[in-house]
Amino acid sequence: MTEPVLEVVDLVKHFPVRGFGARGVVHAVDGVSFSIGRGEMLGLVGESGSGKSTVANCVMRLVAPTSGTIRLRGQDITHLSRRSLRPLRRDMHMVFQDPYSSLDPRMTCGQIVGEPLSVQGIARGRELVRLVGDLFDRVGLRDELRFRYPHELSGGQRQRIGLARALAVSPALLVADEPVSALDVSVQASILNLLRDLQEDLGFSCLFITHDLATVEYLCDRVAVMYLGQVVELAPTSELFTEPRHPYTQALLSAAVVPDPDVQRSRSRIVLEGDVPSPLAPPSGCRFRTRCPLEHRSAPLSHEEEPPLVDLGGGHHVACHLVRPGAEETKLLDPAELAG
Amino acid sequence: MSFVDTTAAVISPRARRRRILRRRFLRRPLAVVGLVVATAFILGAILAPVVAPYSAGTTDFNALLAHASSKHLLGTDELGRDVFSRILWGARASIEAGVLATLVAMAVAVPIGVAAGYYRGFVDTVIARLTDVLLAFPFLILAVGLAAILGPSLTNATIALGVGAAPALIRIARGEALALREEDYVRAAIANGASDLRILARHVLPNMLSTLIVQATVAIPTAIIGEAVLSFLGLGVQPPTPSWGVMLADAQSYLSQAPLLAVYPGIAIFLCSLSFNLLGDGLRDILDPRTTR
Amino acid sequence: MSLLEVSDLSVRFDTDDGQVHAVDRFSFTLGEREVVGVVGESGCGKSVSFMSLLRLLPETAIVSGTAMFDGVDLLSVPVSQLRRVRGRRIAFVFQEPMTSLNPAFKIGNQIGEVLRRHLGLSRPAARTRAIELLELVRIPAPDRRVDEYPHQLSGGMRQRVMIAMALACDPKILIADEPTTALDVTIQAGILDLMRDIRERLGTSIVLITHNLGVVADIADRVIVMYAGRKAEEAPVRELFARPQHPYTNGLLGAVPRPGAAADASRRLREIPGRVPSLAELPHACAFAPRCPRADAQSRSAVPELREVHPGHHVACFHPGPDAEAVA
Repeated sequence: MTEPVLEVVDLVKHFPVRGFGARGVVHAVDGVSFSIGRGEMLGLVGESGSGKSTVANCVMRLVAPTSGTIRLRGQDITHLSRRSLRPLRRDMHMVFQDPYSSLDPRMTCGQIVGEPLSVQGIARGRELVRLVGDLFDRVGLRDELRFRYPHELSGGQRQRIGLARALAVSPALLVADEPVSALDVSVQASILNLLRDLQEDLGFSCLFITHDLATVEYLCDRVAVMYLGQVVELAPTSELFTEPRHPYTQALLSAAVVPDPDVQRSRSRIVLEGDVPSPLAPPSGCRFRTRCPLEHRSAPLSHEEEPPLVDLGGGHHVACHLVRPGAEETKLLDPAELAG
Repeated sequence: MSFVDTTAAVISPRARRRRILRRRFLRRPLAVVGLVVATAFILGAILAPVVAPYSAGTTDFNALLAHASSKHLLGTDELGRDVFSRILWGARASIEAGVLATLVAMAVAVPIGVAAGYYRGFVDTVIARLTDVLLAFPFLILAVGLAAILGPSLTNATIALGVGAAPALIRIARGEALALREEDYVRAAIANGASDLRILARHVLPNMLSTLIVQATVAIPTAIIGEAVLSFLGLGVQPPTPSWGVMLADAQSYLSQAPLLAVYPGIAIFLCSLSFNLLGDGLRDILDPRTTR
Repeated sequence: MSLLEVSDLSVRFDTDDGQVHAVDRFSFTLGEREVVGVVGESGCGKSVSFMSLLRLLPETAIVSGTAMFDGVDLLSVPVSQLRRVRGRRIAFVFQEPMTSLNPAFKIGNQIGEVLRRHLGLSRPAARTRAIELLELVRIPAPDRRVDEYPHQLSGGMRQRVMIAMALACDPKILIADEPTTALDVTIQAGILDLMRDIRERLGTSIVLITHNLGVVADIADRVIVMYAGRKAEEAPVRELFARPQHPYTNGLLGAVPRPGAAADASRRLREIPGRVPSLAELPHACAFAPRCPRADAQSRSAVPELREVHPGHHVACFHPGPDAEAVA
């Protein structure tokens, strides 16, 4: 069995808050575990405050985790120094959300794409120029754009530059943090298609972070749903969308709007009451209990104990007190019942 | 909020940017005036040996405290020296001090400020607190104090002015570095595996350039006035070298007889610093990428 | 009986690159109790059009056309008269609830300000009404929340407060510019429900500006699709999604991933090649022609006018019709 490209075990990241009013710890990520195999695309879905971007930053070692382990191609990178990390940065790279701030406005696009190659000492001079040209070609950009500055390109073109830069070193892992959220709809489509094609061609693994479920369904092999710093459900894509088990996943799926008036208006919706609790003070036990429509059934256990991530078989994991494997009827959460 | 996306295909990126900047500049008459007047002073200072009708020390005991005439455009002072020429020669000291002091300040402040803002942590705390302490002193008091310690001379005055201006610039440089390190492209550079040095040189400093240019243009007039004050107090330029501050000091004794002797250098100081100020204001506006006109 | 009749609205901006034509001869009507969705991508002119109605644009904007509201042309009346309409008869809700509220004042105060200014209510009366409004927008414990500051509320709540402020004087028209774009999916659902409720209970007409076709599918009665400052297509909502006529509309609908699409691994998202044209010149051609699979000599030499292809369904296209690769 080939080892996974990325292994994240019990990742925790807390940020201390030292302000005038608030004092405490932001529990951005609190015990997240998952792995990504070769050539696999894992979607990480969550709303604001879920901690998904923090997971990305930890995996990329742009911040140091508070605790837990991150293994890239079998090697523990959790606490490596900047210097030791440097050669390993050939194995992973990132595409950022904002096409405007992710490119240095003072560098030409060619320089931006070539920078990882020169920093890593992979190529210089004419060879560098050739490789950059190849990369531009791969992401569907005309070669003459290498002399332009980022502000002269459209958002979609900038994201292509970002992709080219990230793939320049042929990484084993690509982390994509909301790569299309800031783009127009029609442009999103071309970038998503491009990402899909590139992944098929080059075979890299990808951690795809987004809040948009439809995109995840289109692109990813497996999906992890995060809520308030924890993974609440992890499953192969088709199964997550046809048989969601966790009540939050079900609420998320029902809330997403569908561009089809007949379907959209006839769906029943699970409405979550209240707000997302603050990561400064996550609820005890199950973090979702304050908004869970089934809280009355899981209490008082859900107030006291955190539900563990349980394997239901077939790669489907759920963290919910009301879901247990092995029983005759594991579907305690019937979407029809939730829909009311 | 940007209402329109005006990214259109262009001739060449640099040429287009220059064109836009030029157009924006021309739409700001005050900045244009600032540029013209500042240039005039600089040219006057550089070309003083050629343009000034007299040398700074030429005296004419037959025309003491004379009124403006065809021989002496602005009259003469108490030693018969031509005021107009002395204004031109004096411009040299002022502008030299102004520009050099600013460069000194930049050379000191930028590395310190960037180090503080980029690395943060203990280094930052120390630098920030020290800067705060220094900022508690008014700039002139600091400069005067330093000049007094160093001893009166134009060079020492320049150094004192430079060091006095540094704390404010440290704060600005620190702020810029602090903001820039959070930019996604800096994170991308880290993800590339770039060293700190490379990131600072390639990504942070170039993106601070506009701010620094503007700050410099605004620091120069402060330094010019500072030099005038130091010379006025006898801590800067030493006679017989002319300087506007020295001219002001000398004019004190003759206020009742020839008040214009004080007015001319005063106006020179005022106009020179104002012009740099207007230029700096305009530059700040023009170089801001969010400006639409 | 139309509430608002906009005719030939055009907006130009004076910029570094010369004049930019953000909106070109945009006309539309809004009826009572109607929800109209205005859809388009960035730069299509959807926000600019509506902001121009209330003169919320910067001075570099040159606006022409007419906008008849209640017998008065909003674009030509003096500002003093317009102020009586702004916030009172036509209200605006912006995209960013984080920055639209003043962080220094309690929300009850901010809502109350609208009431005191437009309706001349006294402070206590304004406070009572503010609590009523907070209840209307379904904020729990309104009597407590009314004394809170914006930073104490979540994004979704802040947007509800913005809506409450907009509804304070019972306006006839509520213009919401991307009201849910900055919000989470689950929160968005609640805001859309709220808007539906507002239309039912208060009879307010709503203009919903968005780039999200799903949002429009959810609550709009009628949809206008804009491209490069012009109206490309307009139709009742079901009609638009079932029989899109304009190639741009077809492209948009094909570009959005559909749920259940995972099963069809071979299906690709529909891409629209090229990019939005520069608005610096108004070519005498169809603005979409450079990117259109149906473009021909006619599209490149003349501007298509709006024509009715089905009842209530208008398209500005020389070759209207659904795509061969029709949306599933």
